[in-house]
Amino acid sequence: MQLLFIYLLLIVPFIIGLYFITKVTGERVEQEVQATDLSLARAVAQGTNITIRNALDSVEILSRYPAVIEADPDGMQEIFSVIMSGRPDIELIYRMDADGNILYYYPPGPKSTLGAEYAYRDYYKSARNQKVAFISEGRISPISGQPVATAIMPIWSKNGTYLGQVGTNIKLRSLSETLERIIASQSPSEGFQVVILDSKAQIIAYPDEKLLLSHATQLLPYIYGPALSGDTGTVIARNRKNEERIYTYVTIPSGSWAAIVSRPTQVAYASKRTINYVALGTTLSFLLIGLYFWLTLSRNVIKPIEELSSISRSIGQGPRLRRAPRRPQLDPLAQRSDQIGHLIRSILRMEQDILARMNEQATLLETSTAVVSSLNLQTVLDRILEQVELLLEVSKSAIVALDEGQGVFRIRAGRGLSAGYIEQIAIQPNDPLSVTMRALRSKQPVQISDTENDLAFLPQRLLSRQEGFRSILAVPLNTQHSPPAALILYRPDPHLWTESEIDLVVNFANHAAMAIENAFLYERSDKRLQEETYRLEALVQSLHDGLILSDLQGKVLYANRRIRQLSGLQPEEIRNTPVEQVLERIIVQSNEPENARHRIRQTLTEAGKQAAEIPLVIQGMLKYYRLQSFEVTDAQSASIGRGIILQDITADRELDRMRSSLVSTVSHELRTPLAAIKGYATTLLAEDVEWDSASQRDFLKIISQEADHLSNLVNTLLDLSKIEAGSLRLSRVECQVEDIIQRAVHSAHLGTGNKLEIQVESNLPPLYADPPRVETVLRNLLENAVKYAGETAHICVQVKRVDQALEFSVADNGPGIPPEERERVFESFYRIENGLTRASGGAGLGLAICQGLVRAHGGKIWIAPTTPGTRVIFTIPISAESAEEKEEVQDEQPQSLGR
Amino acid sequence: MSNPKVLVVDDEKPLREFVQRNLDARGFGVLTASNGLEALSIVQKHNIDLVILDIMMPELDGLETTRRIRQMSTVPIIILTALGEEADKVRAFDLGADDYLTKPFGTGELLGRVKAVLRRARWADNEVVDEKIVCGEIEADLARREVTVRGRPVELTPTEFNLLVYLMRHAGKVLTHRVILQNVWGPEYGNEAEYLRVYMGRLRQRVEADPLNPTYIKTERGVGYLFEA
Repeated sequence: MQLLFIYLLLIVPFIIGLYFITKVTGERVEQEVQATDLSLARAVAQGTNITIRNALDSVEILSRYPAVIEADPDGMQEIFSVIMSGRPDIELIYRMDADGNILYYYPPGPKSTLGAEYAYRDYYKSARNQKVAFISEGRISPISGQPVATAIMPIWSKNGTYLGQVGTNIKLRSLSETLERIIASQSPSEGFQVVILDSKAQIIAYPDEKLLLSHATQLLPYIYGPALSGDTGTVIARNRKNEERIYTYVTIPSGSWAAIVSRPTQVAYASKRTINYVALGTTLSFLLIGLYFWLTLSRNVIKPIEELSSISRSIGQGPRLRRAPRRPQLDPLAQRSDQIGHLIRSILRMEQDILARMNEQATLLETSTAVVSSLNLQTVLDRILEQVELLLEVSKSAIVALDEGQGVFRIRAGRGLSAGYIEQIAIQPNDPLSVTMRALRSKQPVQISDTENDLAFLPQRLLSRQEGFRSILAVPLNTQHSPPAALILYRPDPHLWTESEIDLVVNFANHAAMAIENAFLYERSDKRLQEETYRLEALVQSLHDGLILSDLQGKVLYANRRIRQLSGLQPEEIRNTPVEQVLERIIVQSNEPENARHRIRQTLTEAGKQAAEIPLVIQGMLKYYRLQSFEVTDAQSASIGRGIILQDITADRELDRMRSSLVSTVSHELRTPLAAIKGYATTLLAEDVEWDSASQRDFLKIISQEADHLSNLVNTLLDLSKIEAGSLRLSRVECQVEDIIQRAVHSAHLGTGNKLEIQVESNLPPLYADPPRVETVLRNLLENAVKYAGETAHICVQVKRVDQALEFSVADNGPGIPPEERERVFESFYRIENGLTRASGGAGLGLAICQGLVRAHGGKIWIAPTTPGTRVIFTIPISAESAEEKEEVQDEQPQSLGR
Repeated sequence: MSNPKVLVVDDEKPLREFVQRNLDARGFGVLTASNGLEALSIVQKHNIDLVILDIMMPELDGLETTRRIRQMSTVPIIILTALGEEADKVRAFDLGADDYLTKPFGTGELLGRVKAVLRRARWADNEVVDEKIVCGEIEADLARREVTVRGRPVELTPTEFNLLVYLMRHAGKVLTHRVILQNVWGPEYGNEAEYLRVYMGRLRQRVEADPLNPTYIKTERGVGYLFEA
């Protein structure tokens, strides 16, 4: 189209130019035609004018002749004859009197008009008003019957009397003959027509005599008006035969006549028309030639180029194609032998090449993407092989890598290969013939195009036949952080891998190596991370405290085992459950759920309130939990959720309770003997009562005993504090068991109702121990027996040898100790919570002190499972050596004391 | 009136005997018990004038014993305690004890308290006044030792009754701690402001429509109390 436009841009000015030239030339031609016709018309007019002038001069001269004036026929004859002889165009000369009667005429004719009166004639009338010669309209001469025009001279006397006239008839035919000559001088093909009209538009002169004196309309269209009015001009009009003619008219001044020249425009303007035709022809030719060229160009050049341009645009666009699409519309073009054909063939080839290259790149990209889309090493290896199969259409492939444990190269992943082959391959790193090793050493691809013809492959030939491959390509995978590896491709046919194939594989291998390395490093770091996570998980799971981590929306992200136990929910049930729901499952176990719910809500919602303590009844036991909430932040201190710790503080509460009870217990225990002492002392001091001496002694004895009691108590407390501080020192001596028992029984203040039985094995060796301490142990146990079994209890003390120790047992028939309490009774300040609380007071320190002292000796103390009653057993090693051995063992165990 | 009968309850034999022998020597009829259960059965069987009760005891501790005695009797109770802390005293008073002695204590202190408590009880018992005091909705019948609040009878211990009557008699006047203690408990008293806190609290529970916003028994902070009729 553009081309067409340019063409039009060129051709349009040309056509416009041509049009103007044609127009100007046409006008010039018209002007020339008009000028020619005008000059012709003028020539006719002039000639006619001369004729008329001559006639008028003649009559004027005649009028001056006396013979004429006097109407002397003879004289007139003489004169008239002379004139006639010289003027063949004159038909007749006459003399008319003042009344219009012919007086004389010459030459005399057969028909005499002599004496005839022509006073009716116009020219008679005109002559009477004229002083000079004039010419009449055309008329038929009554004498000759010829068309004539008359030149008339009025004759006036000297005194002004009209005397008549003299006139000469001019033969109109002679005028016509003149015209004929003029026309004859022109080319007949011009079709010239010359007419002379008189003032009454009668045809005065015309080659066809028949038309003489007929009205101009017989011959002409109405174009003569202006001419008869004295104008000169040219006009184109159609005549009666409907022929278009150019009429040129000129006035003939002598007689107010007009000379009209005409000719057919067809002839007159022939040259103009020719020029027009030539111009039109030229324009059409140009247009046609242009059109033709454009069509040809468009069909043969532009269209093919447009096709090519659309092809070149479509290359790489739209859906990916493996091959260039067939373009049947281009087949005829491609077969052309010209440059276009050549160009099309080149571009089609180029398209094929580009598509091939793009396919290659896209496949490479796809395969690489597929390969790097996983971080699992085995998945990555399998994908590499899967993709290489797609990329190069090989059905067998493998990745061989160094087995770091064994120091040989093995197939890490195989595709299309038998399990046996994969298992069998073990390449030594220094194997000089191995394709893989050669590739790895040279860091270049190595191929064997035909295994049957390669000497280096001879040892493996049998294997290759079994496995069904004939050619191999080994490409090293350039890994740096993972073990060295190579990609091996097998083909069942002999095949020389082309440079472009090798380039493609190398390119792919680089991506593959990267993926392997990523996966390898990830696996390594992932393993480490997993281990750490596992450790952390185990740690958090094993926490005695419950732990919940929730996200910012309050949904549980993680909860440990304790929380699952407390809530009775499975891990999958807890995850994403709102924290409140999980806590609600726990709260319902509280004996005061409303209160607990309120406190927890406060802790979770009120800033600054960090902990809530809630009692829960778990398996029938009252437990106390402290719920703490804290914000979990990331490294940038941005909040990422909330943590909740549910801590079992039952033991702490118990300890607190015990500690606070220590004050009252110790206070009570110390004040009781003190109260007795003070009481009896003030009793003795009281003046209002006179006590007898027995009473006084009794009081003083009580004071003394209570003072001892107080002292013992203080010693016990001191011992306990030493035991707890680990600073108790024993003063071991050899001693007899019986003595110790006696002293203990004595100091234990057994009730009078108590029945005591002592069974000591015979022949016991002496004990190497700190006697007062062992005595304290025994005394405490005895006192406990009295306290808990009552003042009528039956108490049995037994001592026997067991291996290298003596085993003491103190049994009573009291209510006994529940099995679950048997461990805890040895804790400091622990007392069983039941109705028998402090059956006999007691600080709750007795058994703790016993345990401390027994352990200090290297022995053990425990409650034997006896019913009914209680049976406490402790051992004391016989000798220091055995005691020391025991102590060593003891040291390795954690102390239950020393809180 | 014959010799007052005193019940001494303590699991510690030496202390029990000390109290028993001293009271015995001064003409009191003394009964002893070594635990709370025993004490309850004695209170039920005998017409006891005063109970001296140790707090820390086996079987039934002193506080629980106090509570149970109060369910059946208004007998004056003196608590013996080794616990010097105020909270324990307050608990004891809350449960209905009339007085307490902190171990160790001497003979004089023991006898003084015993006499004062008995005097209060006796004064209350013996004062024959045919009189009724009415303050607002509270009506105290001194002869029958009965109090009605808004027409309903209210159970009060002798000390509570005495305290209320004293306050009503001095309605509209600010009374200091010391004055109240000496007039209600006895001349031996004067510094035991904590007694008053407990007793005033208990009286408010019984007579005030809203104990937290009392309209009768008002605290004059740092000074004492004011009873408004």
